[in-house]
Amino acid sequence: MTNFEFSGRQRTLLLSGIVLGLVCMGWTWMNDDPLHSRFWSNFLHNSVFFTGIALMAGFFLSASITAWAGWYVTFKRVWESFGLFLIVGLGLMTVIALGNVFHWHHLYHWTDTSILDASVPEKFDSILAGKAGFLNYKWYLGGTVIFVGLWYFIMTRLRALSIKEDEGNDKDFSSHRKMRVWAAAFLPIAGFTSAAMVWQWIMSVDSHWYSTLFAWYTGASWFVSMIALTIMTIMYLKGRGYFQNVTNEHIHDLGKLLFAFSIFWTYLWFSQYMLIWYANVGEETIYFKERWDNYPVLFLGNLAVNFVLPFLVLMRNDTKRKWGSLGFVAAVVFVGHWLDFFLMLKPGILHTAHEAGGGHVGGFAAPGFLEFGTMIGFLCLFLFFAYTMMSRTRLEPSHDPYLEESLHHHV
Amino acid sequence: MSSYTSPIREPLVTGHKTYHQITEDLVSPTEKAPNAAWITGFLISVSLLGFGLFCITWTIWHGIGTWNLNRTIGWGWDITNFVWWIGIGHAGTLISAILLLFRQKWRTGVNRAAEAMTIFAVLCAALFPGIHVGRAWVVFYFFPYPNTRGPIWPNFNSPLLWDLFAISTYFTVSLLFWYTGLVPDFATVRDRAKGFRRKIYNFLSFGWTGSAKHWQRWESISLVLAGIATPLVLSVHTIVSFDFATSVIPGWHTTIFPPYFVAGAIFSGFAMVLTLMIITRKILNLQDYITLAHIESMNKVILTTGTIVGVAYLTELFIAWYSGYVYEQFAFFNRALGPYWWSYFGMMFCNVLSPQIFWWKKYRRNIALTFFISIVINIGMWFERFVIIATTLARDYVPSSWSYYSPTWVEIGIFLGTIGLFFTLYLLFTRVAPVVAIAEVKSILKSSGDQYTGPNAIHHGSHDDHSDAHHGHAHDSSTHADDHSHSDSKGSTYMQVVKDDLKKIEGIGPKIAATLNAAGINSFEDLSNSDTNTLQSILDNAEGNFGGNSPESWVVQAKLAFEGKWDELKDLQDRLDGGKY
Repeated sequence: MTNFEFSGRQRTLLLSGIVLGLVCMGWTWMNDDPLHSRFWSNFLHNSVFFTGIALMAGFFLSASITAWAGWYVTFKRVWESFGLFLIVGLGLMTVIALGNVFHWHHLYHWTDTSILDASVPEKFDSILAGKAGFLNYKWYLGGTVIFVGLWYFIMTRLRALSIKEDEGNDKDFSSHRKMRVWAAAFLPIAGFTSAAMVWQWIMSVDSHWYSTLFAWYTGASWFVSMIALTIMTIMYLKGRGYFQNVTNEHIHDLGKLLFAFSIFWTYLWFSQYMLIWYANVGEETIYFKERWDNYPVLFLGNLAVNFVLPFLVLMRNDTKRKWGSLGFVAAVVFVGHWLDFFLMLKPGILHTAHEAGGGHVGGFAAPGFLEFGTMIGFLCLFLFFAYTMMSRTRLEPSHDPYLEESLHHHV
Repeated sequence: MSSYTSPIREPLVTGHKTYHQITEDLVSPTEKAPNAAWITGFLISVSLLGFGLFCITWTIWHGIGTWNLNRTIGWGWDITNFVWWIGIGHAGTLISAILLLFRQKWRTGVNRAAEAMTIFAVLCAALFPGIHVGRAWVVFYFFPYPNTRGPIWPNFNSPLLWDLFAISTYFTVSLLFWYTGLVPDFATVRDRAKGFRRKIYNFLSFGWTGSAKHWQRWESISLVLAGIATPLVLSVHTIVSFDFATSVIPGWHTTIFPPYFVAGAIFSGFAMVLTLMIITRKILNLQDYITLAHIESMNKVILTTGTIVGVAYLTELFIAWYSGYVYEQFAFFNRALGPYWWSYFGMMFCNVLSPQIFWWKKYRRNIALTFFISIVINIGMWFERFVIIATTLARDYVPSSWSYYSPTWVEIGIFLGTIGLFFTLYLLFTRVAPVVAIAEVKSILKSSGDQYTGPNAIHHGSHDDHSDAHHGHAHDSSTHADDHSHSDSKGSTYMQVVKDDLKKIEGIGPKIAATLNAAGINSFEDLSNSDTNTLQSILDNAEGNFGGNSPESWVVQAKLAFEGKWDELKDLQDRLDGGKY
């Protein structure tokens, strides 16, 4: 089967997932505090998580093209489709950005500009005043629209050229060479701008706190989630009879990436934690103290699920080739990194909400049913979009110069 | 490894090499007397090393006071040099371990020299903490040993001690990795040697016989060592970065240091690999093994890591402002605009701006420019460490402690001495071991040799002879002439050696075979490189009546024969009628 047919049953299933998400969000909204902290924090959490997965799919596709990799080509449409989700991510993050302008939510302490007035010393926050040049709604909105828009634009170029290759008129590889240019350009653009957006979207919920490593740490978390979702998607599609040419060799390599980047994520986690713990500077340790004191299960569970489990299970060769073990780890790690983002965002948002007189609702100490329901809604939206994109063209490319290498891939 | 190579890939071994020629080209430098360039280089290196040893003796004899360290600047050129050398040592393990796991075939051209470089660079680095302790005779204070100062090892919670463990582990694994790769190559050298030299190489190769069992074990241990070495690539410079980042010194205490130091180390390591390989390939005539494709790939790594380092520099700068922490802000203000502003701008220019030229393919494949940029990066990465160390320490919290630092002749002399040590060891290495891994290059020949892939592969029948086939691959004007004469001479030797039975081609009988031989077509490969029109004109001009014979299928048949696809050839011949379609 060269083309993916997005069946009515799959649509119904994913649409019901989206409806479930909407019901959960509506339920959350109605039982929320006056600031709707729980609703908006869930909205931000999932928007950031899935937008980042789309970014990482585009980023890794670009890195693979730039590095002349050949092995992934037979399933590259999965990453193309994931990457195109950036347009939805752009919409979601723009809602948050407009929320800053019109004060629909109070996720970020810095959106309260009354604390920037030095003539009111009892309210004045000198640290946030120092950051106001960056932490303001203009930067947030402009960065979101321009940078995410740019990422999406490059993804559409890569996608168009990839589809053009399928026509088979590309004897001198000119489409592929053009893809190399876009892909190479995407790497530094994503490298520089994603850091800025991570600071805005995520790090600034703890608006006083800072860490230079934070952007790379977040990026690694997104990356592992993206690989986990890729593994699950390919397994599902193979189960439906698609991707006959994606063999256990490809699955094995994806398993290696999941293993390696889980360790890389842990490396960054440890580097950030250890340096802050060792130096013991109050402005920095407050971040971990808050999480250690109030979220001990999530804090340690984060490491157990995202490091210990993939490390121990995927260390062997055969567990990376067996669907049971690899699929299980991919599913757990995917949820694990979603919890990692929960832990990055919720404590800071809760603190801000408390300051503003809200936050006396569930869903902050630990994710409840409404949080998981919302996540399922966003996941179904992501998959619905990705499957739609997959169904629009050949599922397996036909004339990529590396296609034969990918078909003969052997670990 | 995939059994298929995409036609879009460039060949990595040029000159239509046979396995024998690879052995010949790579072993011969160890068998000949050194040339004048080698002797000159060796004398200069040994002299520098001698001066360095003198300065080290001077330091130990007179004490650390012969350096210009002062009350706030406790680390100067010594630790700058230490970090610089350790960083350089990273590329070897990256190339041999991580690129092995990533199945990057181009690593085979440079991994041996890069691993050697790693070991020599780590030796140079290890020297500095050794002499920096001042009283070298109590250096055992580093080590955990029973003592009267308490139950806990006195320095165990210091990253400086972790450094000792990290670097010695790294050195051990790198050495094992390097030596494991050398074992089959030493056996190759042995097989060609006589007398005492044979005995030595036999000892060095552990009596390697080349049996399937040996190869199987060798491949297993290479993979295991790659697995062990991969985390070490990250761990060593991570712990070096801890030396700084665990402190509370503004400018040092920042969480991005570990990955940023690792990226910088790979960056500087690749710059040094390029510096060495560009000289080595020229002097030892290795242009067919370290091709422009290799240099281009390394330049891409340079561009990538240089830009990652750029992201880190700007992140540090931005977060210093963002933090709202005045001392952090001042540290960066001072770096950029303080008394050492020139080293900060040198660092930015050399490490972030200069590699950006490699966005253009034309420049990535320009050897002279690549060499120049590699030197610029070597300097820039030294500046980076100097900026981090001296600039930061020169401006303490208390302005009354502010000071300035410049090195004494002793400190400069020790640095020059390590450069001498590095090049002395490297030059000796080129004399005793093959600088390109013979066994590993042979392993990629069938997939990446230019007779099998790329524009000069033999299925492109448009080339008349071998020498013509080499015109395409060298774009660089400075070495074009060298590449040429080199390849041509190899090509002609090759043609004399190989002679196949052309009668196996359907349609060629003994007379036509003799005619073709007279026209210089001796092997299946020669025939497959010919085109039908040329063959027809050879037949037309020859004595005898070959009018009934058409060469239209010969090129295709010869290609199958050359590639050993006898079954396919037989199928084809079954379908042919007297060599005609």
